[in-house]
Amino acid sequence: MSQSSLVYVIDDDPAMRDSLDFLLGAAGFAVRLFENAEAFLGALPGLGAGCVLTDVRMPGTDGIELLRLLNAAGPNRLPVIVMTGHGDIPLAVEAMKLGALDFLEKPFEDERLVAVIETALKRNGGDPAPDHDDMRARLASLSQRELQVMKGLVTGQSNKLIARDYDISPRTVEVYRANVMTKMQAGNITDLVRFAMRAGLFDD
Amino acid sequence: MTHADLPFRTETPPAAAAAAQRVGTWRIDPATDRMTCSETARALLGVPPDRPVDLELVLSGIDDADRGPTAQAIRRCIAGGDHCDVQFRVRRQPDVTHWVHMLGARNIDAAGTPYSLDGFVLDIDEDKRLQLALKLRENHFRSILDTAPEAMIVIDERGIIQFFSRAAERQFGYPAAEVVGTNIRVLMPEPDRGNHDAYLARYLATGDRHIIGIGRVVTARRKDGELFPMHLTIGEMQSEGRPYFTGFMRDLTEQQQTQARLHELQSELVHVSRLSAMGEMASALAHELNQPLSAISNYMKGSRRLLAGSIDPNAARIEAALDRASEQAIRAGQIIRRLRNFVLREASEKRVESLARLVEEAAALGLSGAGEQGVALRFHLDPACDLVHADRVQVQQILVNLFRNALEAMSLTERRELTVSSARSADDMVEIAVADTGHGFGADVPVKLFQPFYTTKDSGMGIGLSISRTIVETHGGRMWAGGNDAGGATFFFTLPAATIRETVNVAE
Repeated sequence: MSQSSLVYVIDDDPAMRDSLDFLLGAAGFAVRLFENAEAFLGALPGLGAGCVLTDVRMPGTDGIELLRLLNAAGPNRLPVIVMTGHGDIPLAVEAMKLGALDFLEKPFEDERLVAVIETALKRNGGDPAPDHDDMRARLASLSQRELQVMKGLVTGQSNKLIARDYDISPRTVEVYRANVMTKMQAGNITDLVRFAMRAGLFDD
Repeated sequence: MTHADLPFRTETPPAAAAAAQRVGTWRIDPATDRMTCSETARALLGVPPDRPVDLELVLSGIDDADRGPTAQAIRRCIAGGDHCDVQFRVRRQPDVTHWVHMLGARNIDAAGTPYSLDGFVLDIDEDKRLQLALKLRENHFRSILDTAPEAMIVIDERGIIQFFSRAAERQFGYPAAEVVGTNIRVLMPEPDRGNHDAYLARYLATGDRHIIGIGRVVTARRKDGELFPMHLTIGEMQSEGRPYFTGFMRDLTEQQQTQARLHELQSELVHVSRLSAMGEMASALAHELNQPLSAISNYMKGSRRLLAGSIDPNAARIEAALDRASEQAIRAGQIIRRLRNFVLREASEKRVESLARLVEEAAALGLSGAGEQGVALRFHLDPACDLVHADRVQVQQILVNLFRNALEAMSLTERRELTVSSARSADDMVEIAVADTGHGFGADVPVKLFQPFYTTKDSGMGIGLSISRTIVETHGGRMWAGGNDAGGATFFFTLPAATIRETVNVAE
């Protein structure tokens, strides 16, 4: 196992740490575990290349704060993948704004986990992801109303709230929602948020 | 023609002599306005004892304000035959006046021509001043009664209204003139209406006090028939041997409406508290269970990967079982999530709200009894960022929760100040700060402060702050805490600012 395939796992839950160790080990990665962000930051100067897989909600320094600290430390930092609980879309968005490579909602499919980690390890430095232009093209294909609905969806609003904000019926929102998912080629809201990030929807 | 005040001079008894000092006689000749005056009359009218007197001289000695009316009264008497009856002040020194009362009538000859005007002048200075002082006191008294918010009614021992204050007119809708002299029972509904005379009779007979000096809430009846609650206190006084009763009445309608409104707010809050407590429990459960469920899923997936290269004949069946077990773990997580979403997200009703109103109402709810604890409450709300986009009940729940925490934290401290302030912060948000002077957090803000089931109280589930933060986050805001200069705690949260334009849209 090369140095570059090291995964630094940060999670305050022992069972999560151990099970990730087990799963990632089974998938062929070398793993180092930290029970909190402080312990990871303390060890950071001695750490080699690899990627960080961190929980976002933790006592003490949370995932968001960790990203801030890493950003402040310098440009060539380790790629970071955050794990969120369900419904933590606003936190996921904030993490992505702070330069997290991707986010995973717990519990996650192992294939996706492995794929995301592999991408991260390949990058290991920070060129922009290759599919950004593609995502921008998808975003550009949306009508103005579809774009409004998409913004509502990725900020965690319900159909009902979006309907009220734009004074349209919830049924209409559903139609637009389906159009958005198709045009953005997103399988679910999590995908949509991820694509929206890459397309630069949150840049302004 | 001689003049007839001789009897006064010749009488010697002391009483008569004293009377002579107070009554003078005079006569006017209408043809010439010349006057003859007794010694006392001269003294009272302020003319020297040794000078010829005419009407003009007398008038010139009268106070400016009274001169005109006096002259008119005398002229009318001469011309028309009216009795002359006039009271006026005689100026004795530049700043000293003396009240006198002049009475007179004219005499006419056979042709009907008046040949004289005769009369008395009385010293009424002392009586007049006493009367004026009384009048002044009565005016003061009346103006006090008229401005007092409490209505006042005086009745005699038969229940007949003797006095009905201005506030009573407002409260009951009767003009004083309409009810003074009638029985007070018209202001009462049954059964008091029919029984009041008996109440009075019983009190006068036995002296048993049921309401006098005690005070209680009773129902009263306005002129239009409307019944209203009021607080009644009754005092008793004796005047010339007869008892009088004075009632002071405070209309409680408004107070009860305020309380009803507070009650309504409170039950709304309780309802939402329950809902959000449920949501928060579900949310906390979802979060807590998500960890073991994710771990289970990870172990399954890891096992499946390890099995992939196995030649065990059962490998395929084990793999399938592991897959199904992971699916079930994920399903368990979804069930809890659905509950959480159902309770929390859809319950929210965001509108444009005035922060000042939110805070004031929440203070009324959360700080009842705070005054008795000696807590000073301060608001520093920036009117420039008063409007926020928020669910009123949810945000009030946060505020009430913070206020109550603050009161508890200050229960043992010397200094008790609670300050609520607001200021615009970045990203079109309004930052609200609730600061107390309680025991604070000690060295550091506990890292688990906002986590569910974290509490420092003996009784408490530890979900108040956790719910608060969840609410703030569903509003797109943030919530955090810190110490302050007073050694207490300050809780901050942000809400999206709203503009006037949005208000208009909402109104549509």
